[in-house]
Amino acid sequence: MSARKIVITSGKGGVGKTTTTANLGAALAMRGRRVILIDADIGLRNLDLVLGLEKRIVFDLVEVADGRCQLRQALIKDKRFESLSVLPAAQTRDKDAITAEQFASIVAQAAEQSDYVFIDCPAGIETGFRNAIAGADEAIVVTTPEVSAIRDADRVIGKASERRMPVRLIVNRIRPEMVRTGDMLSVDDVCEVLSAELLGVVPDDEEIIDTTNRGEPIVLDQSNRLRGVYDKIARRLEGELVPFSTFDNQSLLGRLFGALKAG
Amino acid sequence: MHELKSQDGGAESAEVSAAAAPVTLGRAIVITSGKGGVGKTTTTANLGTALAQRGARVALIDADVGLRNLDILLGLESRITFHLLDVLEEKATLDDALVADKHSPSLFLLAAAQTREKDEVDTERMRALVERLRERFDYVLIDCPAGIEMGFRNAVVGADEAIVVCTPEVSAVRDVDRVVGLLGNRFQPQLIVNRLRPQLVKKGKMLSVEDVNSILHLPLLGVIADEPEIVVTTNRGEPIALQREGRTASAYRAIAARIAGEDVPAPTVEFKETFLSRIGSLFGGSR
Amino acid sequence: MTILRGKGLGLELALDGCGFDEGLAELEGRLSDRPGFYHGAALVASVGAHRPSLDQLARLEAILGAGGVRLTGVSGVESLEPWARERGIAFQLVEPSAEAEARELRAEQTRREVELSDGARSLVADFAGARADIAQRRKRGETSVRRLEPRPAAPPPPLTLVEPAPATLYHVGTLRGGQALHQIGNVVVVGDVNPGAELVATGDIAVFGRLAGVAHAGAQGDEKARIYALELDATQLRIATCIAADAPARAGRAQPEAASVEGGRIVIAPLNALEHAAEGERAR
Repeated sequence: MSARKIVITSGKGGVGKTTTTANLGAALAMRGRRVILIDADIGLRNLDLVLGLEKRIVFDLVEVADGRCQLRQALIKDKRFESLSVLPAAQTRDKDAITAEQFASIVAQAAEQSDYVFIDCPAGIETGFRNAIAGADEAIVVTTPEVSAIRDADRVIGKASERRMPVRLIVNRIRPEMVRTGDMLSVDDVCEVLSAELLGVVPDDEEIIDTTNRGEPIVLDQSNRLRGVYDKIARRLEGELVPFSTFDNQSLLGRLFGALKAG
Repeated sequence: MHELKSQDGGAESAEVSAAAAPVTLGRAIVITSGKGGVGKTTTTANLGTALAQRGARVALIDADVGLRNLDILLGLESRITFHLLDVLEEKATLDDALVADKHSPSLFLLAAAQTREKDEVDTERMRALVERLRERFDYVLIDCPAGIEMGFRNAVVGADEAIVVCTPEVSAVRDVDRVVGLLGNRFQPQLIVNRLRPQLVKKGKMLSVEDVNSILHLPLLGVIADEPEIVVTTNRGEPIALQREGRTASAYRAIAARIAGEDVPAPTVEFKETFLSRIGSLFGGSR
Repeated sequence: MTILRGKGLGLELALDGCGFDEGLAELEGRLSDRPGFYHGAALVASVGAHRPSLDQLARLEAILGAGGVRLTGVSGVESLEPWARERGIAFQLVEPSAEAEARELRAEQTRREVELSDGARSLVADFAGARADIAQRRKRGETSVRRLEPRPAAPPPPLTLVEPAPATLYHVGTLRGGQALHQIGNVVVVGDVNPGAELVATGDIAVFGRLAGVAHAGAQGDEKARIYALELDATQLRIATCIAADAPARAGRAQPEAASVEGGRIVIAPLNALEHAAEGERAR
């Protein structure tokens, strides 16, 4: 049976699509699934960087589309995981270097050799976005609990629904202290505004920027709570009913004021 | 020039008068980055506010068609009647579409369209529109969308100066570098480093301004440290640059002064040593 | 405009200064002007920034075949390489920003065409068409002028590939992510090469600054090619078919270094410790 083809998108840039793609993919690979990640952000590629694979790039997405190499030659196997491979985007090209059909066919090819194909979508809703979702059957929309991100997520959910694509939501970078003081929307608020099914909630974490700079997905860090968070998301994606557990915020404030819904 | 129509809230349109237009062409500055989420829109809103507070006449253009956000940051979302595409397609005049800011009397917003697409913007008309705005304003700030596609190209087309915004992250630096390359020889972009967390830099967990600029090689316009207050003001629709005190507001004011040509001392980043960080360094923090 | 030139002991077909089809029509005319004259000659086609379709390429082969001319080399954009390889024809990658140039060329042609008046436009078409017609008529034996018997064919000249003289590309300024320089010959950059930027040269690469992007020297197989930099910190180094991706961290401050191939692997050595090859100019 061919793989599930899931695009990870958001509309707003900088909310954590690439980080989510990397970590969710890694979490599923750690559970024994065969995962292929595809960076669809031609010209502004970052997935390779976030996984620390940039030095191993020989061929890229556009060269596969142009027929200059096979898909398997371009896929970079991440040695830290049993079954995680990455197809990098091209850096010296533009989003019109590939058509939606070409992209969809590459995704289909990847789907024949894996259980999950995740497509890291570029920001925005232009050609790059359209090409990225052309390859997918499902969408995961990432948003932060900020008004502008939510507005953009809404737009994107609309576009995905037009294509009859099931949409699930990840709320990223939540800061329980700020939800308490009313300076940040709560997860419930976000879900209500967007009326989408919640897949996961990821708390804000100081460490994560450093891990993306160093190219080490945070799920590799056994001491970091985000590892558990992504694992739960992976399980939910597989169909398990994992409750959204509460967890203790590491900060002093959090401990003083008790836990908040997340997970 | 256009007939000034009086409409509901007529006091606002009366402000936009051709008679008060500056004699020389205003400056058109595009604020861009490539990477999304680094703070382009926040910078546009705050820089525009800071410039207007100095008495300049400022027009802000939200070029993020389909994903508009500049209006939210200024708290003007309920006041938008006409937008950029309406003006470009001549369904409305500039006077109809320009919305006066709530807080700064000489600041105006031309919002993007929310239900349209970026490729519906005609590049030549966009350029002409920016020209027209330059005839009436001292500064035209163009909020560029993320990416390097049509939206980016349309935002850049009318500008004669560029500011690139970058966060101290490897992927942001890569994207900004690409954008600077694409902007080409026409521009000498200046850099604003945004969302710096000096404590993390000290711990070696974040790039420093020098790290960022050792790759970008750009003249440094300013450095903005990360502050939860910024998100709060964003959600409230009140740009932080309006505050009398506070280092972020001062930072934006300094940037505005620098843009205006004043000789402001080089941006430095001071950070308050918190109790916890002092404890940390006692135990031998790295860097 | 001369599209067919003698170059050394062979011929060069310059299609890069005109429209592709126009060029073919003119070629056809020229070859049938003097049947047998070019028989057995070797020809290199400079396609320039054009992106001909398979039909157009087939037409080129047919015209050359009819004139007894052997296509031994083609230079142009990357997408021609597989076509050339299938036929055992030598291929050379042409100058950087081929895409941009192609677009420019097409746009320029469109612009030029648009500027012509109606009268002028028909003239242009007529010239190309007229030559093609003459060629056709000759093929059918319908010439208006009685021709003498063609002289017996001259012995075919020895077949050699004509190489365009390699040049060194000299670039001053920092190369930013997403930018690329491709050159037949050497590449010298005075400035940094940022991560995400790409240098490809058939010869050597020298960066008078920090090399942090991807550099590929000896791109057509020359293992003697070298990569020099004041600060060698590349994402990836490639020489001929060797790749080095995990360069060990440098101890101490950066110093000028050179990368070369030794024993089938890429090695990096400080510049002053390097043994220099043949003195003077290396034939590149």
